[in-house]
Amino acid sequence: MTAPLPKRIIKETERLQTEPVPGISAQPHDDNARYFDVTVQGPDGSCYEGGVFNLELFLPDDYPMTPPRIRFLTRIYHPNIDRLGRICLDVLKNNWSPALQIRTILLSIQALLGAPNPEDPLNEAVAKQWKDNQAEAIKNAREWTKLYAQPKE
Amino acid sequence: MSRSHFSRSPRGNQDPTFTRTHSHSHSSSNPINTLGLPSPPPNGRRSSMGVEVRGMRRLEQRRNMEESHYLACNARAQNYNPPVDLRLLDYVSSYDNNLMCAICRCPFVDPVILNECDHCFCRACIRQCWNTNTTYTPLGPRGDCPTCRTPAKLGPRSATSKILVNLVDELIVQCPRKDDGCKAEVRRCEVQDHVNIYCGYTLIECTGKDCTDPVRRKDAAQSCLHYGASCLLCHKELQQWKLEAHWRSECPDRRVHCEMCKSPVFHRELEMHNKETCPAISTPCPGCSSRNKRGHAEAHAKSCTFAKLAPVLLRQQERLDEQEAAQKEMSRKLEVLEGGFTNMQGILFPSQEVENADRRSGDSNHIPYLRRSLVSPENADADAPTNDFAGFDWNFSAADVRHDGASSAETFQNGMASPPTRAAPAVPGPRPDDLPEPFSSDFDLASPPTFPPSGPYASPLHHLLSMHESLRDEMTRITSALSELDGRHSMQILNENLRTREEISYLAAQTAGLQRQMHWFTSAQLQRQQGRSPTPGASGSALGGAMMDAGAGAGVEAAVGAVSTAATALRGAARMVNVGGSASGVGMRRGTSEEGRTKL
Repeated sequence: MTAPLPKRIIKETERLQTEPVPGISAQPHDDNARYFDVTVQGPDGSCYEGGVFNLELFLPDDYPMTPPRIRFLTRIYHPNIDRLGRICLDVLKNNWSPALQIRTILLSIQALLGAPNPEDPLNEAVAKQWKDNQAEAIKNAREWTKLYAQPKE
Repeated sequence: MSRSHFSRSPRGNQDPTFTRTHSHSHSSSNPINTLGLPSPPPNGRRSSMGVEVRGMRRLEQRRNMEESHYLACNARAQNYNPPVDLRLLDYVSSYDNNLMCAICRCPFVDPVILNECDHCFCRACIRQCWNTNTTYTPLGPRGDCPTCRTPAKLGPRSATSKILVNLVDELIVQCPRKDDGCKAEVRRCEVQDHVNIYCGYTLIECTGKDCTDPVRRKDAAQSCLHYGASCLLCHKELQQWKLEAHWRSECPDRRVHCEMCKSPVFHRELEMHNKETCPAISTPCPGCSSRNKRGHAEAHAKSCTFAKLAPVLLRQQERLDEQEAAQKEMSRKLEVLEGGFTNMQGILFPSQEVENADRRSGDSNHIPYLRRSLVSPENADADAPTNDFAGFDWNFSAADVRHDGASSAETFQNGMASPPTRAAPAVPGPRPDDLPEPFSSDFDLASPPTFPPSGPYASPLHHLLSMHESLRDEMTRITSALSELDGRHSMQILNENLRTREEISYLAAQTAGLQRQMHWFTSAQLQRQQGRSPTPGASGSALGGAMMDAGAGAGVEAAVGAVSTAATALRGAARMVNVGGSASGVGMRRGTSEEGRTKL
């Protein structure tokens, strides 16, 4: 990297380490401080409870003027997350604001897990299931969480 | 940007002479800045440079009537010293989070308050944020507040609170050249002055004659330092003025203090010192589980009984590891051998294997594969799509592994049981005695769960697998029939060949007999002639007789030659028959024997 790391990224990283958000952790890579390994716990009371989801997060060069790029690495049954792990979240796209931070974005994602929005789907099949037969969809989500999102010993 | 201080400094300067001198000196070097940059709004100019302007004003008052030469020098020196980026500074004093810009997360640099929502940002931050999102408008940049999304604009009347500016200006920061050795801590509004005027580590132009290289301000009083020198410690060739920085942070032979034990160490040995000798770093005792600092390790070793036993323990640990590795190897071998043994057992005692398999098939997951199960192709097709359920992979692989040995046993059994007369079995069709459970036509595709539970198969998967098994059986049977057929064909060919060969040899013998007879005849005739020839007085006739005899002899000779050529021709024919017999034999065979011939 030619340009030095902006002070903001250093500060955000430090703060993520010193005062982590409960249920969320973000670790920068040793060789690239703009690339983070993120884990998010499924929120309590949701159908993802007990699951630990891995994500990758990358801060582009013009961060914070452009949003960070985030993707789920763990498979998840969610109407707003597609098979490749891409997330449909307004603050990651048009509604991004430079006043938002990594921690706030991760909190939004955790909130999205707690409140799926089948009206604005990215994964049509899951969203349809969610609308037609919510009980079945929630059961599926629980199964997938058990299958793919178990914390590593 | 830093040069623009000078263009703006005349504002508020009371001394007209200075203004004149200064603007003159500067306009020659930088005419653009004297005109002023058009893009920022007027009030933006006033407050954006508020920090620097105040500093510069104070500086100019102090300096008052400085010569234009000094200013020119200073301007040139700034080429070596780019303006201080206030966001990269290290703050000594802690500051309130409310003084932090939401965009750059640093204390405000030239703060601006949005009129619409009262949120405050650095001017550069908010402009950068909006420029990337919105196009240029003649009324100034506008957009949504990053914090609350209220539509806002950066008009000519957007305000900055003086108290806010003062609060951030009063923050104490470290000199940006602290890495070079400057220990100064100054207020943030003065840091640019510090770097430009006071900091001894700022690079300025060398005072030496005809030398334009940079030199640190504190060294400028000495004469020109731009000559070669070598480091006393590491003997690296450098310029004299760079030596201090070299000793400070580069030279591998410089002395540094170990952070743990405070003792001086050579920099290049620091790593080894930490790893091996530093007495302040704790190491685990080789015997007991406690950790001790290296300095106390000796004392501990005397008191700790385990430490005394350490060498013995270490050796034992090594042996234990060795043994474990060996055991692992052995158990792996044993596994392989056991597998082989089971296979062999299966081949030798297929019936026992059947019993075992049946016993094992007590659980519903098991496949009763050993029962002969031939299913018509239509049923196979009908069942194929129903195997789409979770756990399929697992079931399949498990069944496959379990029955590898057993299936070979069955093949063996089949080979023994199939009668040799039953050649080339027909296409696998339903055999009434073997068909275990008819998959009746009322089998419903649409509802796989309603698969007939009464059958021997617990699920469509099992049915599929057993079908697979039966197909395999058919294959083995066909193969054995084929090989048998081939054997028979080859025997037939062999028999025919033998007969032909015998005939040929008989013919050859006869020809040889004829040849002998001819020889006998000719020799008899020759003897008769020779017996007649010595008679005197009949030389003329004898000559004539000899002539005649010679003619007859030649005729006989020709006859003998013809016979022998006939014999060779016969032999050739025999060879031809030998080859052609097999070729024609194959040609007449059915196509099925083609495969067999390659085996033969």
